[in-house]
Amino acid sequence: MEPFIEMRGIHKVYPDGTVALRGVDFRLYRGEIVGLLGENGAGKTTLMKILSGLLPPTQGEIRLEGRSVRFRNPSDALRAGIGMVHQIFTLVPPYTALENILLGQEGSALWLRKEQARPRVERLLEEVGLSIPLDVPVELLPIGVQQRVEILKVLYRGTRVLILDEPTSALTPLEVDELFKFMRRLKEDGRSIVFITHKLREVLEICDRIVVLRNGLVTGEVQADKATPELLAERMVGHAVVPRVSRSPRPPGEPILVVRDLEVMGDLGVPAVRGVSFEVRAGEIFGIAGVEGNGQSELAQALGGLRPIRRGEILLDGKPLPPLAPIEAYRQGISHIPEDRLRFGLALHFDVAENSILSRQWEALFLRGWGRLDWPRILAFAAELVQRFQVLTPGVRATARHLSGGNQQKLVVGRELSKEPRLILAVHPTRGLDVASTAYIRELLIRMRDQGKAVLLISADLDEILELSDRIAVMYEGKFLGVGPAEAFSRTEIGMLMGGILPQEQR
Amino acid sequence: MGRARPLLESALAILVGLIAGGLLMLPFRYDPLRAYQALFQGAFGTTHDILETLAFATPLMLTALTFAVGVRAGLFNIGAEGQMYVGAISAVFAASLLPLPPGIHIAVATLAGMIGGALWSLVPALLKIWRGVHEVISTIMFNWIAFHLVTYLAIYYLAEPGRAERTRPALPTARYPVLAEGSTLTAVIFVAVLFCLAVYFFLWGTRFGYELRLVGENPEAARYAGVRIGQALLRSFLIGGLAAGLAGASQIIGRPPAWSLYATLGNVVTLGFDGIGVALVGRNHPLGGILAAILFGALQHGGRFMEYHAGVVSELVRAVNGLIVITLSIPELWAMLRRRLAR
Repeated sequence: MEPFIEMRGIHKVYPDGTVALRGVDFRLYRGEIVGLLGENGAGKTTLMKILSGLLPPTQGEIRLEGRSVRFRNPSDALRAGIGMVHQIFTLVPPYTALENILLGQEGSALWLRKEQARPRVERLLEEVGLSIPLDVPVELLPIGVQQRVEILKVLYRGTRVLILDEPTSALTPLEVDELFKFMRRLKEDGRSIVFITHKLREVLEICDRIVVLRNGLVTGEVQADKATPELLAERMVGHAVVPRVSRSPRPPGEPILVVRDLEVMGDLGVPAVRGVSFEVRAGEIFGIAGVEGNGQSELAQALGGLRPIRRGEILLDGKPLPPLAPIEAYRQGISHIPEDRLRFGLALHFDVAENSILSRQWEALFLRGWGRLDWPRILAFAAELVQRFQVLTPGVRATARHLSGGNQQKLVVGRELSKEPRLILAVHPTRGLDVASTAYIRELLIRMRDQGKAVLLISADLDEILELSDRIAVMYEGKFLGVGPAEAFSRTEIGMLMGGILPQEQR
Repeated sequence: MGRARPLLESALAILVGLIAGGLLMLPFRYDPLRAYQALFQGAFGTTHDILETLAFATPLMLTALTFAVGVRAGLFNIGAEGQMYVGAISAVFAASLLPLPPGIHIAVATLAGMIGGALWSLVPALLKIWRGVHEVISTIMFNWIAFHLVTYLAIYYLAEPGRAERTRPALPTARYPVLAEGSTLTAVIFVAVLFCLAVYFFLWGTRFGYELRLVGENPEAARYAGVRIGQALLRSFLIGGLAAGLAGASQIIGRPPAWSLYATLGNVVTLGFDGIGVALVGRNHPLGGILAAILFGALQHGGRFMEYHAGVVSELVRAVNGLIVITLSIPELWAMLRRRLAR
């Protein structure tokens, strides 16, 4: 049978030089559900953005029913019957479902078209077996229903290929069941679905065929009935042996950070961290692995005093950490290397010196009487920081914007480590960095551990977790699915945990 | 390199603005060179003219500060106009009705104006902090409320008996000394410049100023740094209100010949809005605002001479001035836009 869509030799290099895809072949047949499986950065979303016309491929060809096509924008792809539902919703919150479905279509003013279009939308609802309230502002609808509106928006354009990017990440189990029912119905209608996910159980349950991506390459393609979690996990995380960084052997000390039964809400109004308990001891690196979006960000923000906690407690040196009080957290000895240096860690238009006291601007060390900044001391401190942590900059008065990503991150990391902390909270500390900066920052973290500090490392980079951690936890859907010494896990086992398969199911 | 660039950009903009204004004059058969010569001579030709230019500049550097200190905190505070009215009427009250000894009277009237302006900025500030009401909406509404309230007070409570077109004049004890015979520039300009310097020092020399700027640059980094965002916004609004209030007061107790507020508010109206342009030309910097205000003062005072000496009709003078101002605002508008898009 001829594939409905065929992508051949797709390469994608982003303008900043990141290579996302290195020659991917992908086929999609009529009436099938294909799972696209992979870790963060494997290239799943990039590949599908290319198919849906959002990104041009650097190289490679797309064939639709055997004919070569080029999509210049998402409208081209929609006209060809290909539509994508993104992880981040694109609905206008105060508009109703009906208005959102019609929005962006060509034609007369929205309020004129609305009533003409209503019968067509209702017919579509019936056809695909969904019921949603059409006249309620979508912001008042639950997440699961909002997602259906999002899908309907795409289907309304006569879509034959539906791409769903991690559609289950914000859904309750019941909503996931309903989504799957709906997906099967679409499939019976002869439509094809690409299901992007990192969840092994879901991919095995709903898909006909599974394509595994890793590092921009296809590493596996199997019929779902022949696939096992082990096989998929292995393909997803690879089996490279990561050399463990040399470290001084030392027995872990007393617990510095103790977290008990912590529950934290996510931005969508559902719990993102669901009852997590752990401790980090002096002189150890505790690594939290997991595919992003499983509650790691919310956990880190709660620990750093940036997000309220719903239940549970956080103790630092036995003292409870007050919620939503970053300065109190810093005062008690937390250093926070935030997950996104540009979003949280730096002010790009501030100079290096100003950035070197960001989050320390309240410390008496940098102030004179009447809340005046002690500029001579700040400049000297910044100069020392730049030198000690090898930040390449024209000077401490240069704007942070002019530094490379690696040097910006070294500035943030250096600033945080210079606080003489008890606990270092490092979130994706080397994301997007060149090899040299990455190695340097990892070395710094190890050095901190050897000095007897407690290090909590949260990273979506499995290699980083395996290389640095003394103990590892895998986070999945807001919970820890396995905690233990680093030596106790094989790479494949961690891969399966990242995909939501528990150890007892692995046997 | 980074520090000199805004100055260079603005210098280039002045040049472009002058050329654009000259091109506008050509089709009407005026001689741009003669017109500009008249403008420059008019603004800076004699000591008297320089003093007049500075008198025009005084309130503008303050209302520019209101806008600039808002932008530094990420706000688009366009409430200087209303806060300036309230500052003016507060100063009228203190200067014309309170019998106080000299010296103290000036200080009290000045403070009354500043506090009046700050109080008027308080409601939009709290609406923003507690309820997320956008400051553009609330300050525009408060500008109108202030306009009508102050007009009402001026006509019904503070009118000069027998001369209803204006309020009671400031008592001599509350008047800033005139700096030269026949000039309208008074010592209030020193207070204005001092206030600009103080805000400059606050923004770059203190922890709270640092936090205020951090909120404007990157609110999420500010939260990470432990900044109480509401407090930082409140400080920005209040400093802006003090500046606008002082601008209003400066036109009552620091600007002959009226020493009072016209019932139409004619001697203060638009000073607040003009401040937005001045702030943009001054790159939203307290010291840049002083320079930009002098430039605006020169256009206003010197513009009259374009009419006398070069014969340019006054409408066209205003059009040319407007064109120069727009050109001058472009670099900062562009920078603000870029930052917004970069988010």
